[in-house]
Amino acid sequence: MKLDPAIRDQVLATVPSLRAFAISLSGNVDRADDLVQETLLRALAHIDSFEPGTNMPAWLFTILRNLFRSEYRKRRREIEDADGRYADTLKSQPEQTGRVEFSEFRVALAKLPSDQREALILVGASGFSYEDAAAICGCAVGTIKSRVNRARTRLAHLLSIDSVDDFGPDRATRAVLAGGGRS
Amino acid sequence: MKTGKTVNLGTPVPNADKPEATDAMGRPATHRKSEVRLGREIQARIGQQLRAMYDEVVKEGVPQHISELVRRLSDNDDEAA
Repeated sequence: MKLDPAIRDQVLATVPSLRAFAISLSGNVDRADDLVQETLLRALAHIDSFEPGTNMPAWLFTILRNLFRSEYRKRRREIEDADGRYADTLKSQPEQTGRVEFSEFRVALAKLPSDQREALILVGASGFSYEDAAAICGCAVGTIKSRVNRARTRLAHLLSIDSVDDFGPDRATRAVLAGGGRS
Repeated sequence: MKTGKTVNLGTPVPNADKPEATDAMGRPATHRKSEVRLGREIQARIGQQLRAMYDEVVKEGVPQHISELVRRLSDNDDEAA
């Protein structure tokens, strides 16, 4: 199979975001990289089913999400503990950020049901439209909207409960922007 | 126009108009006005933190083993995968 270089570049251009999504799903960098690799193997083996000109990121995200879900269905025990394991994984990776506000955010995010977290990340971080996110998750647009809204409400609640002051407009924002601005 | 006793004139139906403060999980059942303003500030920050966290990974770019894999598969004349 000789791949059109333009298509290959589209695939490569999607990898960083695909990887960030995989990490957010699995909560584990190694597992995420396996998922990304498996996704790319499948995608390139079935590249004929991708219509040039359509949304490459949405296509790859869909494959990755389906792989992740089917892997979970095979491992029932992990489903039950998915959110707990996710939270534990985060705790074991404190070096990812030394910022208190940031880790509080990760912990709060880990408390969300996985379908809400996934919807929020697709729309709020990956930058997909509600329509694309719905296509990726195989559900109705209204379902995505409702998941995103519930995720935001729940996060706001979790983050405001004990620390309205700590979480004041400027301190946390500056910390995040400073942390996000350079690496 | 008479429609009988099914008409509800100002008598609140339990739970229809008045949101419960929180449900069993402690989640706010609906937005309350007093929470909306605070909510907006926090929502803005949630968006920023979410993107900052995500972009941390995005900025790492394409790991070398992945770019090698893609190039190997896409240059392959054989059935790659």
